[in-house]
Amino acid sequence: MSDFWFEFVEITQTVGDGLLFGATYALIGIGFTLIFGAMGKLNMTYAGASLAGAYAGLAAFTFVNAPALVVFLVSALASGFIGFVVYVACFRFIPVNNHLAALMASIGALFFIDEIVIHATDGSPLTFPAMFEYVMFDLGPYGIRGDLLFVFVVCVVSTAGLVYVLYRSRLGLATRAVSQQDVAARLCGIDVHRTNAITFVLAGLLGGIAGSMTAAAVGVLSPLVTIPLTVKGLIVTVIGGLGSIPGAIVAGLLVGGLENVFLYFRGVNERDMYVLLLLFVFLVFRPHGISGTAIDRD
Amino acid sequence: MAYYLGLVQLIGIHTLLGLSAYVLMLTGQLSLGQAGFFAIGAYSAGILTVIFELPVLPALLAGALIAAFFAFLVGFPALRVKGLMLVVATIAFSEFVRLFFFNLSWRVPRGDISVGPDSTNGFREIRYFVANGWSAFEITAFVWIFVILVMALLWWADRSRAGAVLRAVGEDELAAQSVGINLTAVKVAAMTAGGFIAGIGGALYAHTATYIDHLTFTVLLATFAIAYPILGGLSSVFGTLVAVIFIQGVLVEGLRFLGDWRNIVFGLLIIAAMNLKPSGLFDAPTARMLKRAVGLDGRG
Amino acid sequence: MLELRGLSKHFGGVKALDRLDLTIDEGEIFGLIGPNGSGKSTTINVICGVYPQTAGSVLFRGELMNGKPPHQRLRAGLARTFQNIRLFPTLTVWQNLWVAQNSPGDIARQGFLPRWFGTTRRTRQEIAELLELADLGHKSDELAANLAFGEQRRLEFARAAAARPKLLLLDEPAAGMNSQEIDDLSWRIRRVRDSGVTVLLVEHVMELVMGVTERIAVLNFGHRIAFGTPSEVQRNRAVQEAYLGTSAAEAGPADGSA
Repeated sequence: MSDFWFEFVEITQTVGDGLLFGATYALIGIGFTLIFGAMGKLNMTYAGASLAGAYAGLAAFTFVNAPALVVFLVSALASGFIGFVVYVACFRFIPVNNHLAALMASIGALFFIDEIVIHATDGSPLTFPAMFEYVMFDLGPYGIRGDLLFVFVVCVVSTAGLVYVLYRSRLGLATRAVSQQDVAARLCGIDVHRTNAITFVLAGLLGGIAGSMTAAAVGVLSPLVTIPLTVKGLIVTVIGGLGSIPGAIVAGLLVGGLENVFLYFRGVNERDMYVLLLLFVFLVFRPHGISGTAIDRD
Repeated sequence: MAYYLGLVQLIGIHTLLGLSAYVLMLTGQLSLGQAGFFAIGAYSAGILTVIFELPVLPALLAGALIAAFFAFLVGFPALRVKGLMLVVATIAFSEFVRLFFFNLSWRVPRGDISVGPDSTNGFREIRYFVANGWSAFEITAFVWIFVILVMALLWWADRSRAGAVLRAVGEDELAAQSVGINLTAVKVAAMTAGGFIAGIGGALYAHTATYIDHLTFTVLLATFAIAYPILGGLSSVFGTLVAVIFIQGVLVEGLRFLGDWRNIVFGLLIIAAMNLKPSGLFDAPTARMLKRAVGLDGRG
Repeated sequence: MLELRGLSKHFGGVKALDRLDLTIDEGEIFGLIGPNGSGKSTTINVICGVYPQTAGSVLFRGELMNGKPPHQRLRAGLARTFQNIRLFPTLTVWQNLWVAQNSPGDIARQGFLPRWFGTTRRTRQEIAELLELADLGHKSDELAANLAFGEQRRLEFARAAAARPKLLLLDEPAAGMNSQEIDDLSWRIRRVRDSGVTVLLVEHVMELVMGVTERIAVLNFGHRIAFGTPSEVQRNRAVQEAYLGTSAAEAGPADGSA
């Protein structure tokens, strides 16, 4: 009985940690979904740019010993800036209906960013500083890691901020107008390029936060993380339903929680395989994702 | 000399990889999962020659068939999504395969040592060619027999009704259905054919490289697979071959002097190419010009 | 031949098609007309299986079509053209027709053989006839994308005929045509009918409909508001009101009159 109880606590604790950490996946998923919603295109660079933002934050810490808040701010701004550059380099001048070319260009940009990071760091993982003291909140048999809780809260706040911008400001109105009816929005005098660029910057800001949060929670930053994070972000986006922000949030938490379950039962090497299988389960049984909105744009 | 033969082998193998994506792209499907089928072919054929000690030819065919079988299986769920969703689904598949081989450990004793896939340490003992005394020239010829065979088959198919059906599906799915084309059958068939071709490529790769590990089969390789037909255009199989020669022969070799910086330049080149020539370096007008130049104009 | 029973198609709250009953007899040229947004194209799309119906059923030659994908309906004998032309632009004119041919035996035999020696005499003969029907004999090796607008319409017509359908559904084939071209089209439609094909013509252009059809049904707001021969329909008050834009409430109840 006590063995069972112990295991139960252990598993629920794991799931809880995963849910908190899943908030970062949700942010990455939101970023992908935001750009997809605006342009109907995948920005493959996104997760890479987010991690590059985290590297910029790390640089701020290493070279000028910036405080935690500034580190996160630098990460967000750097990633937002990269988002703008990526928009100009890979989307702005490529014909709107040529999805293939934009996709390829953004993959090219992903390699480019990744290689720069590898060069700057000699390809070796760097430790990301613990930004806050080790705190543990006790909750009966459970403990909540302070850093994970902080990550979760920051993600919730930034998501709320994004939703506010999208649904309560004129800028957000323009973004949504462009995503729904590109041509009509143009005719209403909305500058589509500017709106798209702003969407990329917004997504980039979120990504930078997610990237530095991931790094802070894991404690290590490595170029090897880029592709797995890209794939996970894409999975979250698809499971959530392309273009759906609430879907991405739920999917992010789902993936984060389940990931730790897989980790608990099957170990770290096999964990990601099961996350990938989860995507196929969704593709077979619920191809339009949690939100179920049928976006068949290609 | 051996070095250049190695390059010629690599060009042949990458042509197969590119053609596997080409077949799919004819039907309008973009797959970033070709590296996964390539890996399945490579590991299966390697296991067959090393652990089961089969000759290379049956091992290669078996590897290609296994890859085709998985492509067939992936074809069905992947059919329910299209466009960018398919891209995501195939990336996920290919990462799954990579992680599977990352975890696969299957060692059997062979004399004093043990052989077989050794998870993180890779699969090191695929020495069929060396053990049987094949010369580099013979290996190269062996690789290119398959390249030429596959190219000839695809060239042939492109002139048949089947080829026109593939392209019709790629052009307009609704119109294709309305003239009686079974989308499911055509797409799954294209996926399976693509898996088979990638499987041959993978099997050849494993045996020419003698060493494979999971890091060979990343999204980077899958990107190369689609980059070839995108750059070479879809008007003919030769476009893919030209693109492979251009990228592997000219760019990768030519930029070798850049050392570590090569990959950075490579990323920039992709971005530049897509901005300047979004429909491929050898798009229809360019292809026509090239054809006229070499006297290949006119259709079958 | 074709029987629609209580066929409905709703898009959210919009009832594009509401409990439509319609019977088309073998060998006739049947017209389906109505103002913009009256549900004409929806009818074709539901018959061909592009959209699933919300309620009701489609019976074709006594066989229930509900739930069958478009390619199976084609093989059962339902071919169509599109309102906005949908050819295969990078295929040649010849290939467009080749792909649309639908005799299973021939395909099994020649599916993987190149055109220059893999096609049977019958295949070549049929395609030659179709090219003649579309008046495109001189352009058989041209890419479909390079054809002029009128030529593309003719090719699409021939492509639909290539499947040797029992029933041919034409979705606004005369849109954007001048009266010479409309005459040609009437001739083409009659010729296809005379070869044993029933035709359902969905059209806007009265010149064509009145000249070529034998019976007409009029749709408005997804309902059938009139039914009869061209001259009967022309005299029908509900139809005149629908076209002149009187309120739907008045036009609605006049169903089945004339």
